[in-house]
Amino acid sequence: MKRIFAALAVLMCFAAAGHGRINDPDPRELVKGAVNYLRGKTSQAVVEMTIHRPDWQRQMTIKAWTEGRENSIFWIAAPPKDRGNGTLKRGDEMWIFNPKVNRVIKLPPSMMSQSWQGSDFSNNDLAKSDNIVDQYTHEIIDRQTHQGKTVYVIRSLPKPGAPVVWGMQELKIREDHILIRQAFFDEDQELVKALTMEKIEMLGGRLYPVKWKMQKADQKEEYTVLDYQSLEFGLDISDRIFTIASLKNPRL
Amino acid sequence: MGMDMKMAWRNVWRNPRRTWLTISAIGFACIILIFMLSFQFGSYGTMINSAIQINTGHLQIQAENYFAEKSMRQVVPEPGPVIRSASGIESVQAVTARANAFSLVSSDNRTGGAMIIGVDPESEAQVSTLETLVRRGEFLTEAEPASNPALIGRLMARNLQVGIGDELVVLGQGRDGSVAATALTVCGIYASGMDEFDRSTLHMPLDTFQEVYSMRGAVHEIVVKVSGLNHVAPVKRVLAKRLDQMPGGDSLTVLDWDELMPGLTQAIKLDLTIGVIFWALLVLVVAFSILNTFLMAVFERTREFGVMMAIGTRPGRLVWIMLYESTAMTLVGIGLGIAMGCMVTWIFQHIGIDLSGASEILQQYGISGRIYPQLSIITALAGPALVLIVTFAVSLYPALKIKSLKPVEAMMHV
Repeated sequence: MKRIFAALAVLMCFAAAGHGRINDPDPRELVKGAVNYLRGKTSQAVVEMTIHRPDWQRQMTIKAWTEGRENSIFWIAAPPKDRGNGTLKRGDEMWIFNPKVNRVIKLPPSMMSQSWQGSDFSNNDLAKSDNIVDQYTHEIIDRQTHQGKTVYVIRSLPKPGAPVVWGMQELKIREDHILIRQAFFDEDQELVKALTMEKIEMLGGRLYPVKWKMQKADQKEEYTVLDYQSLEFGLDISDRIFTIASLKNPRL
Repeated sequence: MGMDMKMAWRNVWRNPRRTWLTISAIGFACIILIFMLSFQFGSYGTMINSAIQINTGHLQIQAENYFAEKSMRQVVPEPGPVIRSASGIESVQAVTARANAFSLVSSDNRTGGAMIIGVDPESEAQVSTLETLVRRGEFLTEAEPASNPALIGRLMARNLQVGIGDELVVLGQGRDGSVAATALTVCGIYASGMDEFDRSTLHMPLDTFQEVYSMRGAVHEIVVKVSGLNHVAPVKRVLAKRLDQMPGGDSLTVLDWDELMPGLTQAIKLDLTIGVIFWALLVLVVAFSILNTFLMAVFERTREFGVMMAIGTRPGRLVWIMLYESTAMTLVGIGLGIAMGCMVTWIFQHIGIDLSGASEILQQYGISGRIYPQLSIITALAGPALVLIVTFAVSLYPALKIKSLKPVEAMMHV
């Protein structure tokens, strides 16, 4: 009898470990909170994008407006050669605008996995960055600490039949909703690339990761860095800015 | 010796009907083998030549890793000296330069991805068959240069719903990473017979390409056409040597068509393997029918062999006579087979075989219209040689059987 109790006790310990601690927050709420925290209700930002390759490097300045998780629009402000090139995202759809030919082109589905402006971000990363909340199931697999705060390590697997690119994602989210790292895996659970937040500072009235680094797996010298120059939240942005007509008139 | 052969020859014609049957089995096998082998080599030749002529060329000079990575930045920075050096080699017929970029191509209501190829219209026409493939409109040389002409494939035209004179917008990334964009006017539509090529390539003049994609005079490929497939290897060696001596040439590499189209050689190898299996089966069937004939001959003539042994013929001599008989039949069969096979193949080599009915599948391999079998010493002799070896091996068994005969028992045999 004693033996059975001991065995049960051991089993229960395992069970408890497997299910995580009882006071863990809901992983889906954590992910949703993190995405909302990054975007705010509305935001307006100036970002410097650096594309680094072993033999060259390139810098661009981007001006971006976002609204919720659905809509965003951004234009390249510098270098002068590329000034005015714009990208509009509404839901899962994207349009690009080039001032030289003065044309708006809707990106076909076949182009969504191509890189955006030669960076390590794909069009999909930009257009579908939010479907992590709804198209995946989330599970807390570990806890760590970062600058004295708890960090939840969340493994997100796509729901069956979900129209997503990745086979798995692993997110590290701090208890104050700040995303620390997002790693992208393919169907064979092999790491493809990872987004790491390198600097967390006060910006736009809240603690915010001001330096994002997207790096391909196994490529030390190939990465893209987003450096936030300015950021404002909660602006009163007119709905009309997220339209094709507005894409043709860069707000720079 | 001479008498043995004479006896064997007479024995062969003692039963003319059976002999003719055996000879024709061997002959037909030879005809089929010669024709099939020539047909296969002919179709490979068509495949290789059309793939080479439409786009790839015999040889290409590229930056070291361009073929593997296809990165916009891996260029031949100064094509001029390289082209001059390549043109100077004997048996080089034409040289041209190209630049490639994967970009978005957009018409009024459709958008798709495409490989944009910048070509020098004049030298391109000498290297590839692109100019002759234009089915509607005109080639780049005849189009108004100010209109930014573009030449597109038949399937791309269909997918983008455009015709001659319509405008396309190309949007991609330049060599320096900047946005490359331009508007082009469709001046011509080509149909190469290769669906992938017709679906995904757009040609524009090289100078416009270099301007739009900020190439600063650089190109991605220098394409070399030589006077025949057999000149590829020597020209490649000379080119590699000349590149080594050129300043900056060590970052360049020479690739031949085989390296540029690994899928093509693999497809050919696979097809050849299947062919070999098929021929082996055919030869096996022929071998069994010959074995049957020879075996029957021994059984039928057991009494005769007994008598001959009884009057003092050594069994070894009988074995030789049997082998002479089978060899004589085989040689006659093979001789007739080679003559007939070469004749049939030669006729088809001149009139061609119409394959337009099966063109859907074959178009993927660049075969369109007619295939011409290619008769050569190899295709004419490889099959018959195989038949010769196999029939000889097969005839050994019944011949050696004679050795185990006992004269008295053999004579009793009816």
